[in-house]
Amino acid sequence: MNSFAPSTPTAPAWSHRVPGWALPRGRDINETDAAFAAGIAMKSLDDLIRADPPWLGCWRDRLALKSAAVAAKMLGRTEEESALLDAVLLTVAGDDPGPAGKLFLATRMLIRRSGPVTTSFVKDIADLSGLRWDDGLASIPDIVDSAIQSGRAAPFAVADLITAISAVRPDAEVLALGLAEAVLAHKLSWPKSVPLLLPERFGPSFRTIGGRGRVRPGEPAYPKAICMALVDGVEAALRSAVEIERRAARLLAVVPKLRTKGAGPVIRRLLNDGAVPASVPGSSLSRWAANRLFERLEGFEAVRELSGRSSFRIFGL
Amino acid sequence: MTMAGSSTVRSKRRPDKGAGAEGLYDRELEDLPPVVRWREWMLRVEAVIFASAEPVSRETLARVVGKDCSIDLLIDDLVDELRDRPYELVSVAGGWQHRTRSRFAETIRASSAPTRGGAATLSEFEAMVLMAVGYFQPVTRGELSNVFGREVSRDLIGNLRGAGFIGSGPRSPTPGAPYTYVTTLHFLSAFGMETLQDLPNVDALEDAGLLSKTTTREKDFAVRVDAGEPTFEE
Repeated sequence: MNSFAPSTPTAPAWSHRVPGWALPRGRDINETDAAFAAGIAMKSLDDLIRADPPWLGCWRDRLALKSAAVAAKMLGRTEEESALLDAVLLTVAGDDPGPAGKLFLATRMLIRRSGPVTTSFVKDIADLSGLRWDDGLASIPDIVDSAIQSGRAAPFAVADLITAISAVRPDAEVLALGLAEAVLAHKLSWPKSVPLLLPERFGPSFRTIGGRGRVRPGEPAYPKAICMALVDGVEAALRSAVEIERRAARLLAVVPKLRTKGAGPVIRRLLNDGAVPASVPGSSLSRWAANRLFERLEGFEAVRELSGRSSFRIFGL
Repeated sequence: MTMAGSSTVRSKRRPDKGAGAEGLYDRELEDLPPVVRWREWMLRVEAVIFASAEPVSRETLARVVGKDCSIDLLIDDLVDELRDRPYELVSVAGGWQHRTRSRFAETIRASSAPTRGGAATLSEFEAMVLMAVGYFQPVTRGELSNVFGREVSRDLIGNLRGAGFIGSGPRSPTPGAPYTYVTTLHFLSAFGMETLQDLPNVDALEDAGLLSKTTTREKDFAVRVDAGEPTFEE
């Protein structure tokens, strides 16, 4: 278990929140103010990603689940996060997790993958989010490339990207926001993308001043809305990171007390995935051993049961 | 223990594509004048769609035409050409297929000629169950029985499955870990839909009180089954 020995940094290498002085006061600000706040927010998140703590995978996964729930709402579905999680985790390999589960697969694919956006990648995401494939979608890799080449600052390049995609396919907003996160990650040279925009889709940033309508791609206020959404997204992501860090520290602290043989891969999965079913498919543990391991971890308050059920349990930090 | 076997049976070998044949087939047709070349591409695409047993995807068509040929424009021209024919080229389930125009449905029924379509073999109740699966997927047989207020038999599910309209989805986290059912690509194709978004609006139906995924689902009388963690295979 030496591999999990906490390295005990003297001070946290990343700030736990966006500095208060950077946040815009009120919503009635102009684009430059919003861009300033977005810049500071991106830097705060950049510090976290550069610090590369071991639980980053779990954090990304949780954000992807949140995005999937928002995407489901955007498409008029009623599934909550727990239903999406069940759909994906309880599907046997080779079966179809259903339309809502596929949305989670899509957002998870977006965060787990690094590298350029290829046609086949866009096609996979489009299939998973139930979009009809046509020449408009086929042109998206080129749009993404030109956004990456664009000399504008990251938030504005991303706003241009979403506007361009929405012009070709107005119904592909989920895809557009997901790819925008990928471009953002590329611009900031992060290894993988972080869901920041999708979770904020129904947030206050995209509301118009009166509070009744929503700012749409292509409108003059859209780049400002993207900046504000990034600030809100980063704040939410950092909040979630603080909590996961606390839980991960707790888990790593109790690891030496575990005597289960083969617990290593399970601990690693807990740190890398947002949720692990109690049977831990793919591990060498028998289901009784896995049950005992999770019960012991639960006794130490190192993991939580996420589904609230007494059978088909799902554990996570 | 029945749950362990099902996933292993399903692994299919991908058929090897003849790598040699690809090189010999002239896709670009460089030696023809542009107009004739376009004509030839149109004919090729139509031939492939005509011969195919299922909707033909964009990738399949891309194998028989030149690299910089826009398939959408080809299809537009073909659709144009078929304007006064009794059949048309429709885009379903992520591909294209020849279909007789729906206004000839009665004519074909009167002729009682054997057709390829499988949708006609469904009984009324089967069609209703299929529709419910479409809206509520993933949904278990028990939940379907709740929706209809009568038993949805295993045979009926078996029929729909046999016809290729539904497949199995995630296991439901309820006692017994029943399979849920989801619709397949064939379902979309048979009912002329591109994606599930094309289903008539579910909100409107719910407001009309036609559908409600009943509040009395299994979880309300949750039985504690502690021993029953199912084993999943990767």
